[in-house]
Amino acid sequence: MRFDEVVLAIMKAVDGQRTVSSPYHLIKGKKSGQTIQDIGYFGLHPYFAVLPKLDKQEYLASIDRLQAQGYLIPDDNSVQLHRSAFDLEIPPTLLNGWKYRGNENRFFARLSLVVQTMSNFMQGQKRFDPVVTDETVQAWAKAYLKRVDFRSSAVQEAFKNQLETSLAKAKTTETHKNILVERLSGYGVGGLTWDQLAMQHGVLPIDVKIAAVEAMHAWLDVLEGMEYPLLAGMLEGIIQQSALTESAKRTQNLSERGFSLKQIAELRQLKTSTIEDHFVEMAMNDPAFSSAPFMDEQLFQSIHHISKELKTMRLRDIKERLPEASYFQIRLALAMRGGVT
Amino acid sequence: MNLEKLLYEAYGYTEFRPGQKQVIEQVLAGRDVLALLPTGMGKSLCYQLPGKVLPGAIVIVSPLLSLMQDQVTQLKKMGEKSVIAINSFMKPEDRERAWNTLGNYKFIFVAPEMLVQPYVLGKLKSLGISLLVADEAHCISQWGFDFRPDYLRIAEILPKLGNPQTLALTATATDKVTDEIKRYLKLSDPFVYSHPMDRKNISYDIRKFDNDSDKLEELLNLVSTYAGPGIIYAGTRRKSQELAECILALGIRAAFYHGGMEQQDRIFVQQQFANKELEWVCATNAFGMGVHIPDIRHVIHFQLPSSIEGYVQEVGRAGRDSLPSLATLLYAAGDERLVESLIMDDLPERHEIELIYERGEEAKQLIEQGMVRETAYRIISYWRERLPLEGTLNQIEQLKKEKQRQAASVRGLVHSSGCIRQYISMSFNQENPAIPANCCSFHGIDHSLFKGNRSEPKASTQGSWKERLKVLLPI
Repeated sequence: MRFDEVVLAIMKAVDGQRTVSSPYHLIKGKKSGQTIQDIGYFGLHPYFAVLPKLDKQEYLASIDRLQAQGYLIPDDNSVQLHRSAFDLEIPPTLLNGWKYRGNENRFFARLSLVVQTMSNFMQGQKRFDPVVTDETVQAWAKAYLKRVDFRSSAVQEAFKNQLETSLAKAKTTETHKNILVERLSGYGVGGLTWDQLAMQHGVLPIDVKIAAVEAMHAWLDVLEGMEYPLLAGMLEGIIQQSALTESAKRTQNLSERGFSLKQIAELRQLKTSTIEDHFVEMAMNDPAFSSAPFMDEQLFQSIHHISKELKTMRLRDIKERLPEASYFQIRLALAMRGGVT
Repeated sequence: MNLEKLLYEAYGYTEFRPGQKQVIEQVLAGRDVLALLPTGMGKSLCYQLPGKVLPGAIVIVSPLLSLMQDQVTQLKKMGEKSVIAINSFMKPEDRERAWNTLGNYKFIFVAPEMLVQPYVLGKLKSLGISLLVADEAHCISQWGFDFRPDYLRIAEILPKLGNPQTLALTATATDKVTDEIKRYLKLSDPFVYSHPMDRKNISYDIRKFDNDSDKLEELLNLVSTYAGPGIIYAGTRRKSQELAECILALGIRAAFYHGGMEQQDRIFVQQQFANKELEWVCATNAFGMGVHIPDIRHVIHFQLPSSIEGYVQEVGRAGRDSLPSLATLLYAAGDERLVESLIMDDLPERHEIELIYERGEEAKQLIEQGMVRETAYRIISYWRERLPLEGTLNQIEQLKKEKQRQAASVRGLVHSSGCIRQYISMSFNQENPAIPANCCSFHGIDHSLFKGNRSEPKASTQGSWKERLKVLLPI
């Protein structure tokens, strides 16, 4: 998927309803109420935070291209797509941004250091300049290498095999995999810059960046299966383990698929109040939880305002001052504490 | 004390490089030292080795974050574990942890802007500092080509730390700058070690052209004739990119490097260059630090440098292995205009100065609003704490004159007819150097010396990802 296609895919969903900069915030992974809420409203989960370091200039260059090609009609207020944009086939995406949220880059930084270290040690080189300068990642890699006993040739061989077999299984193209592996360095071999990769593959630098993210997401899906322990060991803290109870998780899954609270209660043959509890649990555990489907912003603010003013979290006190709010709404709003940031 | 023995036991080297021993001896004798050592002469050893003997901590003030990181990396690479760097980009919790365990570290790198914080000062004070090192000490001088106002803060904290013994290190300084370093750092009766700027194995070649296209043609001719490794310094980011594209189009392995690239990509280019996967790197002056390659054969300036000091530093990256190396300066008529505009662009303008004074504490917002440039803000906000508006305007006027003088001396480099080596030494107020063979284009150069052999890239990594994995992890 080219970067412009990512932008277009988002624009198709929000056409006429959101500003031209809204895809930018989504791609960067801005955790604002609006952005988070839009993900749910428009089903934009794949694209969230796929390029956390996206440069505004690079985004604007894409806008220019889309306008020059006639897909996007210049408009100061909102996205206005031309008919031709809707006729354009955009390939199904391999991205899974909502799940990985930019953490894939941490995984890859760890992998880069580990591969570089093994590569150098295998070839008798014990001193080298680390390819990743981030000290947290360095400390992590050091501990990992020690833990797996990386000097043992059996471990090195297993590592390489697991790397190769798992990546082979990733549901993405060979080109994607080539791009990703070309970002790895080792003894006598430097990783390739985005510009070098772009030139080699005849696309824009921003396109190879997206391709690398797609490849990582597809690969992480394989690694999550835990069949490759040496690589799975690198996922520590990368995939957010859900803090939810099993039952709440099921509710969450249904909610993400677009079912309403009432529908979920019917589907699961549970009381509405139980499902409400699940949502409160989700609100407490998920910083990206949006209250928008359950109350408007004004009510949300009022609940917080009164809670602060009365210095209370007691539902009844708040309900007295705000009779129009349901207990569920109050619980939900309070569960979100700081609220939507 | 047998320093050679210490050197061998600590780092496995059998002998010192020129200047290191003299400097270390004086440091261990308890004297303040100012050492002028050319780049690549192993400046850091001058505090590393004393660190093995002195009882307290060695605090190194380093002006650039990237430089600091590089030094920490190099120290760790040499097996030194007791190293920490503290800067304002650290996460608060990491910094907190660093402060609490500071006593465990021998080598503490600190960014100058952190020094003035009372908390930081208190921590350092309680530590017992054996030696304070001002790295890249020329940054303290506003007459230097690389003035960093934050650096003047070292001077302010010295008395608060009880005036510890000080070691000032720099690769390049004129007499005027040297004087300022001594004065600001209050070096008392310092031992000054000044290594000759002159690098005998470097030949200086200046080639002049009537227009840009002839100059470009000559560059392409050079990179086709000579094998690298070589650095081509371009004046701007855009130019570095253009030049790399031109060279790549000839089928010669080259890449560009500038500060606008993401850090990972910059590291990749450095690696590729060190691995000989690249013959040429087309770069802005951001390239150099963190490049530890002894056999760079060529440094080519495609545009005029902005100061002689900067020029000498960039050229000095060639031939650290002492083998013949060529420094080529390509000049096309009118090139000095670009340099002068670049130099002057860096300086704060009158309206910026006035705006910053007007806004006072809120002046920082002016950067975001695009009213004031960040470099200008840094310089002015320093002076604003110390001088009234008129004084600062005057300071900047002086600075401008100094920059013009530097530009004039670069012009002189190109236009004076005579020995280039002597011209450079003269700019640093050093004695006339001896004229080696192949001295410069004035004295004549045998260019066949620099031909070199084109190296073939190692095992192809151009194939599929599986093949690349085989090259990376050959097991």
